Amino acid sequence: MNDARNLWSRRLRTDFRAALSIIAALAVVPLFVSSPYWLGILVVSIYFALLALGWNLLAGFTGQFSLAPAAFAMLGAYATALLDYHLKAPLAIGIPAGILATALLGWLLGRIVLRLKGPYLALTTLSFAEISRVVVGNSHEFTRGDQGLNVPTLMQSRVGYYYLFLAVLLGVLCALYLLMRARAGRFWLAIRDDETGAASRGIDVVRYKTLAFALSCAICGLAGSLYGTFSQLVSPELGLLLQTGLVISMVVIGGMGTLTGPVAGALIVYLSSELLRGVGNIQLIVFSLVVIVFARFFRTGLFGLATGRR
Amino acid sequence: MLALDLFVNGLIFGLFYALMAVGLAMVFGVLKVVNFAHGEFYMVGAYTYVLCAMKLNVSPWVALAMAAFAGAALGWTVERLLMRPLYVGYASWSIMKDEYAVVVTFGLSLLLINLVDKVVGPYPYRGPALIETSRFAVGPVMLNGQKLIAAGISAALLVALALFIKRSLWGRQIQAVAQNRLGASLAGIDATRTTSLIFAISGLLAALAGALLAPLINPSPDVGAFPAIKSYVIVVLGGMGSLWGAMAAALILGVLESFFAVYVSYDYRDAFGLLILMLVLIFRPQGLLGEKGREV
Amino acid sequence: MSLLRTEGLTKHFGGVAAVEDLALSMEEGEILGLIGPNGSGKTTALNMLSGFLAPDAGRAWLAGEEVTRMAPDALARRGLLRMFQMTRVFARISALDNLITAGLARGLTERETQKRADALLEELTLAPVACLDAGQLSGGQRKLLEFAMCFIAPPRVALLDEPFAAVHPVMRETMAAFIRRRNAEGHAFLVVSHDMPIVVELCPRTACMNAGRLIAAGATRDVLKDAAVIEAYLGSGSHA
Repeated sequence: MNDARNLWSRRLRTDFRAALSIIAALAVVPLFVSSPYWLGILVVSIYFALLALGWNLLAGFTGQFSLAPAAFAMLGAYATALLDYHLKAPLAIGIPAGILATALLGWLLGRIVLRLKGPYLALTTLSFAEISRVVVGNSHEFTRGDQGLNVPTLMQSRVGYYYLFLAVLLGVLCALYLLMRARAGRFWLAIRDDETGAASRGIDVVRYKTLAFALSCAICGLAGSLYGTFSQLVSPELGLLLQTGLVISMVVIGGMGTLTGPVAGALIVYLSSELLRGVGNIQLIVFSLVVIVFARFFRTGLFGLATGRR
Repeated sequence: MLALDLFVNGLIFGLFYALMAVGLAMVFGVLKVVNFAHGEFYMVGAYTYVLCAMKLNVSPWVALAMAAFAGAALGWTVERLLMRPLYVGYASWSIMKDEYAVVVTFGLSLLLINLVDKVVGPYPYRGPALIETSRFAVGPVMLNGQKLIAAGISAALLVALALFIKRSLWGRQIQAVAQNRLGASLAGIDATRTTSLIFAISGLLAALAGALLAPLINPSPDVGAFPAIKSYVIVVLGGMGSLWGAMAAALILGVLESFFAVYVSYDYRDAFGLLILMLVLIFRPQGLLGEKGREV
Repeated sequence: MSLLRTEGLTKHFGGVAAVEDLALSMEEGEILGLIGPNGSGKTTALNMLSGFLAPDAGRAWLAGEEVTRMAPDALARRGLLRMFQMTRVFARISALDNLITAGLARGLTERETQKRADALLEELTLAPVACLDAGQLSGGQRKLLEFAMCFIAPPRVALLDEPFAAVHPVMRETMAAFIRRRNAEGHAFLVVSHDMPIVVELCPRTACMNAGRLIAAGATRDVLKDAAVIEAYLGSGSHA
């Protein structure tokens, strides 16, 4: 595609507009759907959309294929829950604390895996994720282990929560757009495409990689923290590898390295999975087949197909 | 004496781990990617053994052979259908190589687990033991007939594998392809066929591990998850791609875990292996016996 | 004060001395050639100079500032740029975006970068492919793009690692002309090469390495006639 539409600023703008239109569509959904069950499903899909955006920042834009997004959602949720459980901290403190805690841990993880690539990176982040989950699940005095913790809620209204999640999604999307448009975005892409080359051109790879980790994990932590208040229960299951796998698949199907891909992927996958549930519980089978097919034949995902990109 | 018992049992489990991990080490040695569906080869082997023995009423030994065959077939199919793009054609694949391998093998893992869950059912099955004697003592150590036979078979298989790799023509081709794919094919070796063979062996060994342990562990559809994670730990600890390293690391891990579970914490014994994995990856990524990758 | 200077630079790999006690010196605005048979340590030296390898011993200075163990990106921001033998570009973004990224990395503003990028693309005849993904460019075009990325902001010195290897004659002329033009503006180059005719043509001064040591340095004509240099090449069976 040798025309100006392939330039990064144009591609990003088209991408952002497409994502905004999805959000606009989501904004009017409650006018047609009033069933609390379905609104709840949509809230969960937005939760996944947030995780997907967070993971995509790290993997799709910066090329760091981490297997820890769900673990960070769990850690964010637990930070908020623990502050409430042990210190009776109000959510106004608990939620920002969750974001801060996951940002710091994410930054730390980023520093740990600085020199690692490919399968080594994947395995280290996987270990980190699993260790976190096992530790949280086994610290019975501190976290009540597998029983989970109860979390207070921000509001009773489900529609209210829907719009809250949607607003957060919009906020994260806009923040990502602004970042990707600026220096940070270009540097992350450079690190993804060629880390050594990026360093040799003057990009502070250490700084930007750890920044990507911190931001990505903070987004996941924010999502987890909010979700905890929505479901009013947090458990180590939030951090299961299966959840990470779901997130990764959503991004792959939607389109890696874009803003619209993770959002669309999360919605489509989660909603179809709900619809399929009625057809005989085969949603995971269908879903995993789709993931395999997409990874094999449609590497740029649905959004890539839609924009005609390879 | 408790320590001796722990040590021997640790070694025995180490042998099982080795059988499981060695195939993964081979795959990594050749393709330099991790196969996240490796645990499912184990699971398929376990289920094939149990179902053949129970539903088809064949002798456990025949069921064992059938499990081996199922593992080999699955490995070969996976390579043929899914892994080939990693090294045939497409220059652009090199950019997405790791992502592709993780996503595709994760999807496969999910698919296999849920297929088995749907078709066979989510409840654990009990498999018949190869030998009926259960507990008996050898000196101060308590052993179990199935465990001992399984350990013996594992050891025999590992030795057979080592000999195969070192001595046979196919084995040397595998070594060549693992070291230098392009060079090997220039020398006339069919690298693709060799890779299929490697995957088949990988599946076969993992499936046998599953089958041998089926009577001890009562497989359920997600039974492969923990063995898979242990395999990653072992492959990394031993140096990605090094078979000897994997075998040594497996034995070491088996023994360490055995002691850790009793003296430190039973709950955290799986996390223990993961911690080792992290530490090795951070401080000595080439493992005990692997080679250091070069920069620039 | 010299532009780039090293003293006693040494690197061992498991008992083998890849580079031993290297003392190199480059002046502002000169083109220095670095030659030597295969395995003489040229690339290792280059890796140390550009921050990709930490020396075991010795020091290096860039325009008077010590840069001995500095990271590649810090060096790049100080104007020490390096080109690789295996071309490195950012494959999944357009050629123009490659340049813009490089410019921003060197501290230029977006507008400045855009202007210079357009000019460079024009100069290197890459304008027709400016909007193609860098991964879709031909090998030669990628090399030119890498060149452009080094020059998006004026470098103090550019280290070129076998820039003419496997490059066809027309491209080679384009690159040589580019180097001469930039040199006329005062930019310095260190050219590591096997290609003797090019070294003679471009580099007034040359240094020669063999087995990790500097065996000759001076005017190119003299170095090529130096007995030790000839022996190094003939002795190892390389072309001379």
